Amino acid sequence: MVGILIRMRLHLLRRTLSTGTTGVLFALGLVFGVVAALGTVALIVRVTGTGDLELGTTATAAVFGLWTLGWLFGPIVTGSSDETLQPEQFRLLPIDHRRLAAGLLAAGFAGAAPVVNLIAFGGLAVRGVLLGPVPALVGVLGALLQLAFVVLLSRVVLGWIGAAMRSRKGKDLAVLFAALAGLAYYPANLLIQHLGPMLMHQVPPTLATVLLVAPSGWAPYAVDAAARGDWLFAVLPLAGLAVLIFGMWRMWAFLLRRRRMTSPPGVASSGPRSDRMGGLLGRIVPPTPLGAVLVKELRMWWRDSRRRAALLPMVLVGLAMPIFPALQGNFTFMVPFAGLSLVWTCTLGSANLYGMDGTALWHTLVTPDAARADVRGRQLAWLVFVAPPALLAGLILPGVTGHPGLCPWVLAFLSTLLGAGAGLVVLLSVLAPFPVPQRQGNPFASNNNAGCAKGLMQLGLSVAQLVLLLPPLALLLIGEFAGLPVLRWLAIPVGIALGAVTAWRCGVFAQRRITRWGPELMAVVRPR
Amino acid sequence: MNNLQPSALRLTGLYKGFGGPWVVDDVHLDVPPGSFFGLVGPNGAGKTTTLSMAVGLLRPDGGQAQIFGVDVWADPARAKAAVGVLPDGLAVPERLTGPELLTYSGLLRGLPADVVAERTAELLGVLELADAGHTLVIDYSAGMRKKIGLAMALLHAPKLLVLDEPFEAVDPISATTIRTILQRFVAAGGSVVLSSHVMALVENLCDRVAVITSGRVVAAGTLAEVRGPHTLEEAFVRLVGGRVGGAEGLSWLAS
Repeated sequence: MVGILIRMRLHLLRRTLSTGTTGVLFALGLVFGVVAALGTVALIVRVTGTGDLELGTTATAAVFGLWTLGWLFGPIVTGSSDETLQPEQFRLLPIDHRRLAAGLLAAGFAGAAPVVNLIAFGGLAVRGVLLGPVPALVGVLGALLQLAFVVLLSRVVLGWIGAAMRSRKGKDLAVLFAALAGLAYYPANLLIQHLGPMLMHQVPPTLATVLLVAPSGWAPYAVDAAARGDWLFAVLPLAGLAVLIFGMWRMWAFLLRRRRMTSPPGVASSGPRSDRMGGLLGRIVPPTPLGAVLVKELRMWWRDSRRRAALLPMVLVGLAMPIFPALQGNFTFMVPFAGLSLVWTCTLGSANLYGMDGTALWHTLVTPDAARADVRGRQLAWLVFVAPPALLAGLILPGVTGHPGLCPWVLAFLSTLLGAGAGLVVLLSVLAPFPVPQRQGNPFASNNNAGCAKGLMQLGLSVAQLVLLLPPLALLLIGEFAGLPVLRWLAIPVGIALGAVTAWRCGVFAQRRITRWGPELMAVVRPR
Repeated sequence: MNNLQPSALRLTGLYKGFGGPWVVDDVHLDVPPGSFFGLVGPNGAGKTTTLSMAVGLLRPDGGQAQIFGVDVWADPARAKAAVGVLPDGLAVPERLTGPELLTYSGLLRGLPADVVAERTAELLGVLELADAGHTLVIDYSAGMRKKIGLAMALLHAPKLLVLDEPFEAVDPISATTIRTILQRFVAAGGSVVLSSHVMALVENLCDRVAVITSGRVVAAGTLAEVRGPHTLEEAFVRLVGGRVGGAEGLSWLAS
């Protein structure tokens, strides 16, 4: 069965790659991965060359730790958890779950990422060879075990999150976890910046201990022990890894079994709970076409786990973006602008509204003159969720961080960006829509396959919107240097006006686009 | 057809290709007002494609679609006001409950809130969906989805209903309910176009039939004209040129 699954996976991979841009992206990723892997090997060879056994072991453990983190967070952050073969597809086959787990795992190794990683971990084998015959043997074994460990770890963690996403509470937790995983980029960055130079010279003892105690450090330590002739500690870490691998394999098999037996996420029934807010919304919002869309959109953001997975991490990432640099250096003046980066990331995160709704667009298309209400309602609903945290951050952070003078700056920019964001969200949703697979077992699987051109358009327009900040910026600068506080505060209404005009104009464009090209838009967002 | 009373739905020379051979190839259809029109054809014949182009969900490569004399593609707002649509296999905002979905749908059409509330309650009652008031549409069964879709199509009291496979996956009791509603709708002067591949159902329900295969209309007219002395099913097999298979091979099965 393993052979069949591997063939099936490679077949599917070939099929995906035969479509132009995916192939190019894949090749680029592969080149990048191979370069990173070879860099790892080079680094390990270089520290081994210094002759300092301890430093070499710590450095190897550190880069192994980074690769492991990559396996953990990469799929979550990029939304590219490998779901070429989904356990659901085997639901009706009479295969017991442990065999299926073994088969799927084996098939999981038949991909580009594990091969690239094997090269990187191969650095340990090279290090072993440089240190002697026994360390060489330990190094080869360690590299293989390490690879099995990271692949399984990634599978188990993603599988666990996917399973947690099945219940509503679990979903909230998992979305939060994903957001935190997104934030892990910053600590990782910090780690690399501070660790990089240290690896070549001296690693602080506490950090060295942490690196070695983490499972990613076990294999390097085994090679270290073998080089020192400490047979017990050459074997123990490897045995430990093997036990860990076995345990995770069992866990994964269990998760697979659960996943095969239960229905996909998003099917969780909400019952009367969602009704409380629903009833209130119905009473507050006026019963007009615009109100109808607004209420519908608020409910969708609130109830649809995929929409929440798109927005909530962006709120946290946006808030944290200026905070981490402040922790690293003395850029504290950036912190008051956390609201701005929040709006910016949220705009990017919700730039595929029609894609997320899929073919539900038909209803707007068969309703006369519904495009206007639909676009405006979506803009309003987006603002209802994004504006409060952004404004709150903008009002509180300047004072809290001891820069109350930045208040007009923050508020002027914030009002511009909120308007521009509300405009861009619908503009990008009609200009660069892409289909989102419906109801997948793992909510992190391929929810961000915008493709190269559309991704560039999203990024390009979201950078271009920053041009709108120039007029308020000019007012603020003149006010600052000429000592005219009036000018500085004037930047706020100017910002609001700019934002409002942008939101309005983009909305008009989106409406026209839907009215004119609605059927084509629906064809693009139809899940394939 | 007289000029005072234009066709409920009129398709003239519709073409659609999706970049390959024609999927819909010069389709002409005329649905007189007050008729119960059945569009039958084998799988992949182009029924859904034709109906999608008729209601403005898919742009034709050529030809015209008119609803009560108004061109769907030239004056969409006026044409779409008169028609209620039940598409097959398209999503709805699934995280809404049935009542929420109908309220959204009605208000989006610009109906007054009290009218929407009244009709929603009535439709949910008649379609036996009232008990599922707190259930999200995503948790609905296939049959319930068809029924809530029908309710969406009926909510604004259209003069024409275009229903794509309205009886697919619907249980017999719900099917009877839907049939009764549709028959009342036609009796009150409305027009219905539905697609199906269940011949017996079309034969029982419709007064006019068109047979479509490989994107072409091979027969159209009153039920009696199309089926002649045979049953509709026999006429259909003859028209479609199909060979009824299933009798050969498979000797290993249950041997």
